[in-house]
Amino acid sequence: MNKMEGQAPSPLPDQVLENVLETVLHFLSSRRDRNAASLVCKSWYRAEALTRSELFIGNCYAVSPRRATARFPRVRSLTIKGKPRFADFDLMPLNWGAHFTPWAQALAQSYPSLRRLHLKRMSLTDRDLTLLSLSFPHFQDLLLTCCEAFTTTGLAAIAANCRLLRVLDLAECVVEVADEEVDWISSFPETQEETHLESLVFDCVECPVNFQALERLVARSPSLRKLRLNRYVSMSQLHRLMHRAPQLTHLGTGSFSASELDPEPDYASAFAASKSLVCLSGFREIWPDYLPAIYPACANLTSLNFSYADINAHQLKSVIRHCHKLQTFWVLDSISDEGLQAVAETCKDLRELRVFPVNTREEIEGPVSEVGFEAISRGCRKLQSILFFCQRMTNAAVVAMSNNCPDLVVFRLCIIGQYRPDPETLEPMDEGFGAIVMNCKKLTRLAVSGLLTDRAFGYIGTYGKLIRTLSVAFAGDTDLGLKYVLEGCPNLQKLEIRDSPFGDGALRSGLHHFYNMRFLWMSSCKLTRQACQEVARRLPHLVLEVINSEEGKADDIEILYMYRSLDRPRDDAPKVVTILH
Amino acid sequence: MGTLKQIGAPQTQSSSSSSSSIDSNNHPSRTPPPPSSPSSSVCRNRTDLSTDLRLGLSISPSSQSESPFNSTPREESFDWPPIKSILRSTLVGKQSHLSQRPSLFVKVYMEGIPIGRKLNLLAHYSYDGLVKTLGHMFRTIILCPNSQPLNSGSFHVLTYEDQEGDWMMVGDVPWEMFLNSVKRLKITRADRC
Repeated sequence: MNKMEGQAPSPLPDQVLENVLETVLHFLSSRRDRNAASLVCKSWYRAEALTRSELFIGNCYAVSPRRATARFPRVRSLTIKGKPRFADFDLMPLNWGAHFTPWAQALAQSYPSLRRLHLKRMSLTDRDLTLLSLSFPHFQDLLLTCCEAFTTTGLAAIAANCRLLRVLDLAECVVEVADEEVDWISSFPETQEETHLESLVFDCVECPVNFQALERLVARSPSLRKLRLNRYVSMSQLHRLMHRAPQLTHLGTGSFSASELDPEPDYASAFAASKSLVCLSGFREIWPDYLPAIYPACANLTSLNFSYADINAHQLKSVIRHCHKLQTFWVLDSISDEGLQAVAETCKDLRELRVFPVNTREEIEGPVSEVGFEAISRGCRKLQSILFFCQRMTNAAVVAMSNNCPDLVVFRLCIIGQYRPDPETLEPMDEGFGAIVMNCKKLTRLAVSGLLTDRAFGYIGTYGKLIRTLSVAFAGDTDLGLKYVLEGCPNLQKLEIRDSPFGDGALRSGLHHFYNMRFLWMSSCKLTRQACQEVARRLPHLVLEVINSEEGKADDIEILYMYRSLDRPRDDAPKVVTILH
Repeated sequence: MGTLKQIGAPQTQSSSSSSSSIDSNNHPSRTPPPPSSPSSSVCRNRTDLSTDLRLGLSISPSSQSESPFNSTPREESFDWPPIKSILRSTLVGKQSHLSQRPSLFVKVYMEGIPIGRKLNLLAHYSYDGLVKTLGHMFRTIILCPNSQPLNSGSFHVLTYEDQEGDWMMVGDVPWEMFLNSVKRLKITRADRC
């Protein structure tokens, strides 16, 4: 290109390239693609870092807030995950960590344009929430999943200060009760004629809300699509809210029971008027007599969550026979095999099924078994994800599912009785799980249970090439089991093991792979401190947290939680945690 | 004598290596059981050592038919099965509605063991199921009435006390009739019968 005299000099070729690169990379959204792009060369690394607006941090201790904000200066959406999943089941000491405060401070300084924050299994305080609410003028979306340590005071700060708030989703959080219950719903400014709210999810908040304020809030939120109420909202209150917001697509029904015995409004008409409803949940204290109210909505439902509703097969059938479009279904095993068969007959489009146990004690028989399980596999061929709790299961049924449902991506079977063999053949459950990893070629997540020998793990190591998450409890015979998995599964990222006889030899067999993993959890296994120390020495970027309930119990490890980290080990660990390095 | 190990075996693997049955030495053989024939329907020709005492340790509360909330000998652990505490605590209140299956608990003793067990007979539908369960509970092989094993000393047979106080061999009468007349069970050595 010829330069005309007198014109400003054109930018250097390198700069042009960087500008082009940034413009192109702007459109790259997948973080895996971005990670790959950043490895090409230094200028790609820089360009990618400047254009990454969504940042995902899978382990809050893998990188320090300072390092993250230094590399990615223009983040608008941030996801951070804290504790490992086994913390949900009380396997971790209280106050273990995953504190959000250092992140809150770093974000407030570095990301004035932050719009979206999603935290999972983090511990965040009211001060953190208040800081958030005051630091980001463009803040829109706050999603907290399985978080804790905050109260309604923090929620009130978010409500009061985030003028552009679009999404406030609290899922499975533990919201402490403040000393004085704060009326956080009233903190949404009433002077705002219309809010920007699209999603308000507070079903886990265990204290009553000011209903009048809630009703007014819903009435002035024309964009509201998702509303999930807590169990302090009664049926008649639900009715009023539904009439205020007939445009809802996702509804969590609160208690679904009545508080007074007055003549009741026509609940079914409210459900009929909500023509956009595709997702129903709630039913926290369900009166089954009210179930017919939801019939008008069933035909359009793609997602139904009955996991708090102890209904029987007959009650379920009255609902499910209308739900031809259902794709996601969460339910209690009170519906029994008969209920599962009804689901299998109607819900041909089912993609995700979760069946939770009402009775968590080990029994010989339970209401659901291989009978219902196999019926589901025959009726719901498009199944992609299943979580199934039961007291008995046969290899034959699991094999059948592996053949009938080849699209399975997530397979989690929890036979409640530990070390239970196949009740028909008395064989271990090896062959069933073996069939799953062999036949379900898209499988990325697997949870095993029942009586399992090293053979099962041999199958997993041989065929489970795409598996990223594996959960093991009360299974295996020797170190070989874990060795098969660590040597055979190249995509393994999250491995959680409890109460299984895997020891030091098994741990060593994973040395080649640990840097590729997000974490390894091993509790009540056969690890020794020496072996962990050795791993820590050989892999300096691994953090090994050893958690023992009693101090001074030198050799045996109760819990090992191990993860990679770019920075120094954390300094906020409680006394029961020893960090090996 | 049967292959019973102490009922007090540890519940987790890590605390003791010697009594864990999940060792490669004790691996259950994977040969399939022989095809069942009518007379051997109550036979099993191998013990399944690896079912361990997890089953044996599920000590059924003696008054389970009244309420699931009676204090049980075994503490309910809150980290198994893996259910989030929100769901678990919600469901505790719902359990009483549903555990209304009929039950018939009888005492079961094994010869030589002073502490007996209790078993819900109505959780089974046939002798087959009953013998399987007892085989797990007591970690032994329970023979059918007509078989003649080579070394009968290692095996046991199942007997019951009927309403008239007589001790009879289990398996002779139809299941329903058995349920009506059984008062308690005893597992005795085969060479004594």
